[in-house]
Amino acid sequence: MNKTTEKKQTSSFMNNMVKRPEFSILVILVVMITLTALLQKNFFSIKSIVRNINAFTPLILLTMGQAVVIIAGGIDLSAGPALSLLTCVLTFIMKEGSPVTGVYALVITFAAAVLLGIINGIGIGYLRIPPVIATFATSFMWLGTALFIRPTPGGETVNWFNAFYSFRSLENVPQVIRTIGDIIPPALVLVLLGCFFWYILSRTRTGRYIYAVGSSLESAYESGIDTALVQTSAYIINSVFIFLTALFFVGQNQSGDARLGDPLTLRAIAAAVVGGIALSGGKGSVFFAIVGALILSFVNKIIFFADIPYAFQTLVGGVIVIGAIASSRFYTIYNQKVRKKESSLI
Amino acid sequence: MNALTNRNNPAVKFYLKYKRIVIAFLLIIFLFILGEVTVSNFLSLGQILLTIKLASFIALFALCQMIVISAGGSGLDLSVGYTATITAVLTASVMDGQNSHLWIAILIALGIGIAVGFANGVLTAYLKLPPLVVTLAMANILQGAINVYTAGANITGKPSPVLRIIAAKSIGIFPNILFLLILVAVIVSLILTKTKLGVILFGTGANETTAYLSGINVKLVRCVAFIISGVLASVIGLLLIGNMGMAFKDMGSNYVMPSIAAAVVGGVSLMGGDGNYVGVILGAIFLQTLTNLLVAMGWGDAGKWLGFGIVLFVLLILYVSNRRSR
Repeated sequence: MNKTTEKKQTSSFMNNMVKRPEFSILVILVVMITLTALLQKNFFSIKSIVRNINAFTPLILLTMGQAVVIIAGGIDLSAGPALSLLTCVLTFIMKEGSPVTGVYALVITFAAAVLLGIINGIGIGYLRIPPVIATFATSFMWLGTALFIRPTPGGETVNWFNAFYSFRSLENVPQVIRTIGDIIPPALVLVLLGCFFWYILSRTRTGRYIYAVGSSLESAYESGIDTALVQTSAYIINSVFIFLTALFFVGQNQSGDARLGDPLTLRAIAAAVVGGIALSGGKGSVFFAIVGALILSFVNKIIFFADIPYAFQTLVGGVIVIGAIASSRFYTIYNQKVRKKESSLI
Repeated sequence: MNALTNRNNPAVKFYLKYKRIVIAFLLIIFLFILGEVTVSNFLSLGQILLTIKLASFIALFALCQMIVISAGGSGLDLSVGYTATITAVLTASVMDGQNSHLWIAILIALGIGIAVGFANGVLTAYLKLPPLVVTLAMANILQGAINVYTAGANITGKPSPVLRIIAAKSIGIFPNILFLLILVAVIVSLILTKTKLGVILFGTGANETTAYLSGINVKLVRCVAFIISGVLASVIGLLLIGNMGMAFKDMGSNYVMPSIAAAVVGGVSLMGGDGNYVGVILGAIFLQTLTNLLVAMGWGDAGKWLGFGIVLFVLLILYVSNRRSR
């Protein structure tokens, strides 16, 4: 292979990259990061990076879960209340000073998370209720149950549960481990765990079926896929991400709160859409959805550091969401036109 | 074949055509009887009228949802709550408790409604962005605008007496808003069943390709649906301030989700192309009765939400199984 063809290949690779709709989103992210770096002092210091990761983690995890469900052709309006319910269950089972109850809490809460996914999956997959309204109904069930367990925020945790947020307040561990926790935050481990989980799954048959079911339920059914089962597994996968988020929050707050997750539901959906997940299903990448979550998170940071009055925050946030999805849409339309022109020239 | 299974029997025909309305009506009666048995003094005329009065605001918001959902394209309007709120907040000081300034308030309401609806419509119908996210972001923008407006000064002002009379007062025991709701229901039903507009709206929602091939401008219809929704929401804002007697920051946001639920319970297909406003009103009354009953039983917040969720879920299962057997 001589040099010119090599050059051509890289340039065509660049061309392809630039032409993809995701490219505009990546540009937005880079702009956001640059702005934040300019506004926030010591943006690149380990301390502030760790702090940012901690602040971004819940939205990233929830967005990934939401992305899986949306790709499967659904949506989950009950994700926030499910998160609240899981924090309540965790803190309900744990008893302070008895480390083993933490293990029980982990196991039981994980089972509860899977159960929530199964209920959503049954409603949508087997009973064929439209996902928007089915998860809307279940969100009230989760909220009600969470309020039964914990009418007001509170509860107790075991000491080792703090490890899901920070190693600082752990008892009876050597200083080295605490230092490691300061450099590699547990939140990052949770996110990587989620990524690894989806990476493995996306290489299995279930992962491919999720895309197939999302892009056309009928065709998937005709080709012999158990569509209801696939939809149910998508909701269970989502539940696993919600479970990871609940671990983080309980580690951070050491309490359960029945209203904790409410504002996060629609933010996660918006983040997934900004990250290129089509609400019509079957399109997008779960990893790329993270970029959407990062953009929304950085927007908040910029608003905070740019000394924009607090009152403007929701306003600017809404404008940015519309701006981000509209710009990627414009970009796609523009590229289609260019491609048409090129093909007509040939 | 006996009379009950004969499809030509007028009673059976009526039932088959208005199945959901009949079911919703029976459910409401069932709830009231259940309430009377478990909680004393639940089934009284005053209680029923109070329920209807509370439900009428949900029903009015549900009209916005019904129009947007019927036009298809997985339409939903999450911005109605804050559209109503911003209208109420902005017009409060303009009206200042006088009738003479009501027309300015109405102009402001129309302006806000058209602007919000137009923005929603263009973004969703012409740019093909998902309505769920667009209207949510729009709600955030409006909420933000309200925050900015109220950050500088307190919300002052009172609604015009006319609005108080329409939304809060009653003739004898019948709340005036009930008459308004009946009027709206009649007008909407006539427009949707007797004029071409209904065919265009439902036709667009049922099958956009067919609608396009029959010469309907699908994008325009969807855009106009959002504009109508915005204007209605804005006018409801005037009624809300009339009912409450003042404006506050979150006065409309609690109606959004119930309005969608009422539309679905009332038989509006979320796929678009099907809907009946009388059914939607009954859906709203059903949800309000359910909420009242759960509160009256003294289960508190937890029981209220849990019961609400379970009943809604079960109802949806019944409805969907109906649809499948057809």
